[in-house]
Amino acid sequence: MERAKWEIIHIPEKPPVSPTHQPTVDVLASVIDPKLANTLVRRLNQIAPLENFRHVKRIQKKHMQGGKTQLAIILCLASENENPLDGIPNDVLELINSYQLSAFITKVCKYAALSKEEWEEQCKLWPTSYHPPTYNIEGIAGFSEEDSQSVFSFMKSAVKLAKSDDGQVVNAAVIVDPLVKQIIVSACDEICSWHTPMDKTSVEASCLEQPDIATSQGVVNGVVSHETLLSKGPPDEPKQLYTGVSCLYPWRWAEHQSHASSYWHPLRHAAVVAIEYSAARDRRLFPGLGQIGNQSNQLDHTLSASISSQAKRQKTNLKKVEDVEKLDAHCNGFHSDAARPYLCTGYDIYLVWEPCAMCAMALVHQRIRRIFYAFPNPNAGALGSVHRLQGEKSLNHHYAVFRVSLPEEILDGGDHHFDIHINLTGLYTKTLAYDESENDDKKG
Amino acid sequence: MASLGEENLPGTLAFMELAIQQAKLALDSLEVPVGCVIVEDGKLIATGRNRTTETRNATRHAEMEAIDVLLEQWQKNGLSKLEVAEIFSKCSLYVTCEPCIMCAASLSILGIKEVYYGCANDKFGGCGSILSLHSSSSKLLTSGTPLVKGFKCTGGIMATEAVSLLQRFYEQGNPNAPKPHRQPGQQVLH
Repeated sequence: MERAKWEIIHIPEKPPVSPTHQPTVDVLASVIDPKLANTLVRRLNQIAPLENFRHVKRIQKKHMQGGKTQLAIILCLASENENPLDGIPNDVLELINSYQLSAFITKVCKYAALSKEEWEEQCKLWPTSYHPPTYNIEGIAGFSEEDSQSVFSFMKSAVKLAKSDDGQVVNAAVIVDPLVKQIIVSACDEICSWHTPMDKTSVEASCLEQPDIATSQGVVNGVVSHETLLSKGPPDEPKQLYTGVSCLYPWRWAEHQSHASSYWHPLRHAAVVAIEYSAARDRRLFPGLGQIGNQSNQLDHTLSASISSQAKRQKTNLKKVEDVEKLDAHCNGFHSDAARPYLCTGYDIYLVWEPCAMCAMALVHQRIRRIFYAFPNPNAGALGSVHRLQGEKSLNHHYAVFRVSLPEEILDGGDHHFDIHINLTGLYTKTLAYDESENDDKKG
Repeated sequence: MASLGEENLPGTLAFMELAIQQAKLALDSLEVPVGCVIVEDGKLIATGRNRTTETRNATRHAEMEAIDVLLEQWQKNGLSKLEVAEIFSKCSLYVTCEPCIMCAASLSILGIKEVYYGCANDKFGGCGSILSLHSSSSKLLTSGTPLVKGFKCTGGIMATEAVSLLQRFYEQGNPNAPKPHRQPGQQVLH
């Protein structure tokens, strides 16, 4: 296997497609007399608005031979039935008849372009508009050398945690405040062993005093964790099964043996435990300021259309949330409150393995800003492998997701791998365009 | 999603009524009013309600609270993992709102038998609204063990009551919530 170098890869909200293979839909269009263009556009926007296709331009202008231009207009979406002329709205039919239009079927791109390359391809079919993302989470457009080194260094901490003392490999999570480049909390899988069940005070105490040391190590016993696959998989496939990693095998908790004396919990995956520690830290550092938590926890249960407008109003970006916190601090008269984190807003999490759906959704709830993971999770990964939560538009929070690609051997040996590879790293950051649903709302 | 055809409707409604009571307890504590109960063989064995505000942990949904009560109790009673898995496979959850993606995934991991919920969860629902984690068919893992578990799921039970609690929360239950839309910066429309 080619020795992988350390690199940061953005995992976008939809699976990357080749610009030339973008999904399309059929529309009904007609060539028109340019003098009628304004009238027809206005009328059609009323009777057949292109509601979910705001990126598609209504009119196509073609330059013909001899310097002439020809205009064509989209009348309406074509029906998906066998006869595409079925289901044309009556108003559109009337328009076709009264202006003697001859309709034809053509294709337009289904989704707004995420990159200039995609947009250029789209316009070959039918013109669309392209808005480079205005909403940007730091890193999507690339990492500086300093930031890359910081990312690698935090991932290195996570990998160290994942290698527990008895040689078992588990998943590990490190929550970081990127502004001050400090570890807030770190945690390992605790599905087999959990030192302090329901004893939250001791957890709080331990997770603060030595934030860069594992607050608790998952002890995984009686599990074959270094089962080696006989056949050689594709280069991206892990060589080992790592059955001690909860997110890789969420449903196999009952097979793990555990100490008779220790508590266990099938849902205490590293990310979930880290969230708990960070909440405990918040309660400890900012006691008695409980009310602030209301402001958007409530959204996570929002359901019906009647209350969703409230949710929209509360949809805020990072900057605004910070402002809100400051406002709140003033209202309460607690000036130190301005420093208080709202959940994990603004924080990053480093995970050795791509999280499962439970963990990925927990990180949405807790408002993590960016997720970095090292190894994909083909069994149950929810950030691109099986599901892709960062692309679920309906969620009220969207984090940016990055894979920090690193050599798998790092899990086997001692720490010397780190030094070698970090020094060899050609800081190469791939980026893919990113679109945030918030943009769409603003147009509406 | 299954319909309520041959179900034991009076029993279902009675348990959902208990879940609603849990949601009301949450509302009284200025928490998002979602509540649940877990039932084994027709017997109530755990209750839970949302505690995200109190804990400042946005993952402390009603389902998680009820599950933790059971896991702690069963381990104190000395049950093994296999025994616990066995009991979960006989348990039904009644929850006022469709489990979110996180809770639906958790219920699948635990191997719960069935879920009855009140209103759908258009934004976060993991039982049909956004993802359908309950209907995951058995998937073979590399080792050959079929272990991705689905569960039976029935929605729309006492949904009106569940929604009206949520509306009460948003309308009057939260005097301390900031109002981002009143910020000067927010009035500039793009």
